[in-house]
Amino acid sequence: MLLNGVHAAAVAGRAGNKVHGGADEREQTMAVSLRESVERVSDPRNLDASVEEVFRLMLAIECKREAGLAVADRESVTAVVGFGGLLSGACVFRSGAGTAIKIAAQMTGMEFDAIDNTVKDGIGEICNMLAGAWKGKVPELAANCGLSVPAVITGRDYNLHVQAPEFQLHHGYRFGEDIFEVTIVCDGLQ
Amino acid sequence: MSEIRALIVDDSSVMRKIVERALRQAGLDALVVHEAATGAEGLEVLKTKPVDLILSDINMPTMDGLEFLRQIRAQHLAEGVPVVMITTESSEEHVKQAIQAGARGYIRKPFTAEQVKERVLPLVRAA
Repeated sequence: MLLNGVHAAAVAGRAGNKVHGGADEREQTMAVSLRESVERVSDPRNLDASVEEVFRLMLAIECKREAGLAVADRESVTAVVGFGGLLSGACVFRSGAGTAIKIAAQMTGMEFDAIDNTVKDGIGEICNMLAGAWKGKVPELAANCGLSVPAVITGRDYNLHVQAPEFQLHHGYRFGEDIFEVTIVCDGLQ
Repeated sequence: MSEIRALIVDDSSVMRKIVERALRQAGLDALVVHEAATGAEGLEVLKTKPVDLILSDINMPTMDGLEFLRQIRAQHLAEGVPVVMITTESSEEHVKQAIQAGARGYIRKPFTAEQVKERVLPLVRAA
């Protein structure tokens, strides 16, 4: 899993805050855990709300989740933003090249003929905002989970495989004729 | 409103353009924009160019936005210039850290041009 740039040390520091108190200066550890919140963390409605919010506010696009949607384009763009801290895993955005170009054009007001660095940058930023919006839905997650800088993969005929995740949300969305997928992979929860 | 010189710090060039567009939509037509992709680059800009407003992301490679803020204060750069953080990080802890480091405003991504207007214009007018 790609986790470059995750502020792991800062997050780990917050996960076990030491509290000093009393005459004997005894230390207590306030353990923060997401284990008890796993149902809220994995609530699929949080992902749908995050996707709709990011697309509406940043792109003025209304998109809706549909069952059974899968990106079938040979050439596709995948952006990955890693989670580190109490939850480890990743947010993955995937679309066909044409859809990625449309999204980048809507973001920037520019026209693109092909996947260039600006398109990759734009898709990476969309994934970054999706990851941030999703973790922001659960306060304990927002405060104790860091994000990596986005990594963007382009090419043909590739698959992304994660072995035995703790949980996974995999949703397909549509706007007009375009579809994209957003996946939240959690491979560790403290 | 007279000319405003803004420094926008974000590792995403697309996001820098979106922030610039939002500032213009907020009514800052006479805008001169300086851009930086990291906190370190932002510090270099501040050493050579006067600015009236700084907008910075938090999660960036090399030097993140919070360290950028601390370095601005430590190096006595852009004194009195309002800094607004624009970031995906939305927890109270992040807001607190940003304010402690010297930020005067905080905008969560995704944002609307209206939010930028509400949170940035009063700071620019006051400065």
